[in-house]
Amino acid sequence: MSLQEIVVQQIVNGLLLGSFYGLVALGYSMVYGIVKLLNFAHADVYMVGGFCSLTLLTFFGKTFLGNGWAGIVVSMLITMIVVGLLGVIIERVAYKPLRNAPRLSLLITALGVSMILYNSVMVITGGEYRAYKTGLGFQGISIGSIFITHTQAILIVAAIALMLVLHLFITRTMYGKAMRAISMDLDCCRLMGVNCNKIIALTFFVGTALAASAGTMAGVYYGSLHFFMGFVIGIKAFTSAVIGGIGIIPGAMLGGLLLGLLESFGTQIPFIGSEWKDVFSFSILIIILIFKPTGLLGKKESERM
Amino acid sequence: MAKRLWILAFVVVLIASGVVGCSQPAAPPSGGEENKGASEAPKFDGEILLGIMVPVTGSEATYGKDMENAIKIAAEEINAAGGVLGKELKFTLGDDGCDPQMCTAAASKLVSSEVVAVLGGYCSGATIPALKIYGDAKKPFVILAANSTQLIDENPGWAFMINSPGYHQADAAANCFENLKVNKLALVHQGDGFSENLAQLTKVEWEKRGHSVVAYDVVNKGEQDFSSLVTKIKSSGAEGVYWTAYHADGALLIKQLRQGGYTGEITVADGSSSVQLLEIAGAAGEGVYCTSPPVVDFLPAAKQFISAYHAKHNQEPGPYAGLAYDGTYLLVDAIKRAGSIDPDAIKNALSATDKFQTLSGTVTFTPQNVLEESNFITIKGEGGKWVLVE
Repeated sequence: MSLQEIVVQQIVNGLLLGSFYGLVALGYSMVYGIVKLLNFAHADVYMVGGFCSLTLLTFFGKTFLGNGWAGIVVSMLITMIVVGLLGVIIERVAYKPLRNAPRLSLLITALGVSMILYNSVMVITGGEYRAYKTGLGFQGISIGSIFITHTQAILIVAAIALMLVLHLFITRTMYGKAMRAISMDLDCCRLMGVNCNKIIALTFFVGTALAASAGTMAGVYYGSLHFFMGFVIGIKAFTSAVIGGIGIIPGAMLGGLLLGLLESFGTQIPFIGSEWKDVFSFSILIIILIFKPTGLLGKKESERM
Repeated sequence: MAKRLWILAFVVVLIASGVVGCSQPAAPPSGGEENKGASEAPKFDGEILLGIMVPVTGSEATYGKDMENAIKIAAEEINAAGGVLGKELKFTLGDDGCDPQMCTAAASKLVSSEVVAVLGGYCSGATIPALKIYGDAKKPFVILAANSTQLIDENPGWAFMINSPGYHQADAAANCFENLKVNKLALVHQGDGFSENLAQLTKVEWEKRGHSVVAYDVVNKGEQDFSSLVTKIKSSGAEGVYWTAYHADGALLIKQLRQGGYTGEITVADGSSSVQLLEIAGAAGEGVYCTSPPVVDFLPAAKQFISAYHAKHNQEPGPYAGLAYDGTYLLVDAIKRAGSIDPDAIKNALSATDKFQTLSGTVTFTPQNVLEESNFITIKGEGGKWVLVE
């Protein structure tokens, strides 16, 4: 492989990895923006999404839909709705009663929800890896020695499309406007007659559904699921959200893609092995934060005295 | 008030789930239902309590459960035939979770349960910390599957390895790649004690034989995306890839190597010799080689054990069940030869083991308590199954 080919291939690899990070990061960012909560359960919702869609796909695989793209798309849409509702239930049961409690209590509650989710899945699945069987093959497009499977290409496009839809939803609809308003001042919105509980529930629904879609895509692409699979991606996605500027939607996408690309290139750097790729990517992220403490797209917060 | 109730309900759910979560590792304790086989046997004069230390939770839970099942099948047979020294074999389980910290806790638990000896050890990284604990407590420890050479260096003398150590496997891997006419090799491990050790040994052996290692890489446990590594391996021009770690991530790597258009040979090490690897890897698993421990499916002597296992658990025994079964008989034989449950006597009897016949071959220990003869075989993925390569 020539150097150019390696670079192009690594960009594709990084974009795919980054779009998973971005999709999960969006949920962290949206929830933080609106209720100032670091929702640790978010990574586990990603995992639940994976298992939920696997169950559905196994079911649809036996019907006329099959386990090709038709089955996958239908399972993913149903998964997004089901897991989105799970997100709403989690918010209603675990977070809403604590809305006026100190932030730390809420943080611990989020940790508790996370444990409930992954322990439940562990009990159900027996703690073992599950194969995610699809009818997709390894066919793809090859240009020189660059090789991109159709699955990879479709997943990158799907992830970016979801991000764009979300962006339009936030910037162009009344619901999006209400979300942005609540993130600025919850009490004021309530005084203006905005149904804040409903909008917050909607935020959880959308954020969770996106994580569930990422979980499905990860299952389809990597082909296996595990009850603890959310842990690493949760940390990486949270990092992405912070790098992009937490609470800012395009920031989460940008942060995710950036982290994905950094990791891809970190593997390839000559003389230092792949064991240093995290050191490489996180060093760059620290440098970014030194110069832009609120993240790449973060605005300077002015404290009023 | 309603708000308080919500919080209360939530806390109850939280605690309940915590209990479920925590009790999971301890869920399959020994005893109880396992004594059915003993009902026809003569009366026992007391019992001999043995410890089992395997992972029954976490990524390696499959293997740990296989091993626990196999040990109990052996014990049922032994108890049905009158037990050991007129006593009944009983077991208590310590879950090492393939994690060094959990291993320490499990070993301490077994020692404080006053077991006579311990069977177990699957992940080398989660076996090394136990060596000193069992050594200090004078508990003979038959290591069933773990085989890192670090175990040999850190053995205080109370542990006996019945699986071939890493250097036997590095040899087997080099032979495998030479047969496949590979010259440039890529080694990928997972940064834990076992897989890194094996990668290092294979590197030394491969270079000693006059070939070159073009990539030596690691993947982090828990990560799913290896595509950037795949590109690196492809660009290094490697003709063969040797994955030295475990099946769950191995399957991901194989799948992504083939997805990324890599066409060279792939061989995986014994930690990956699971049908699950082929199941997760799907079509990508075809033609993958594996340097494997003696899997019972390929051992002519193991037919009876396999049918007993099928009858009791209705599933395949898995790659380490045979060794677990062998280890139980070996330990029982040593206790019989020792004539007592005195730890020193059992240890000396284990050291003196001379050509003890097991399913996987004959067991004789070197002065370092390691197998004298290698027991590795080469198998290949064909049609979703592992097939013996001659």
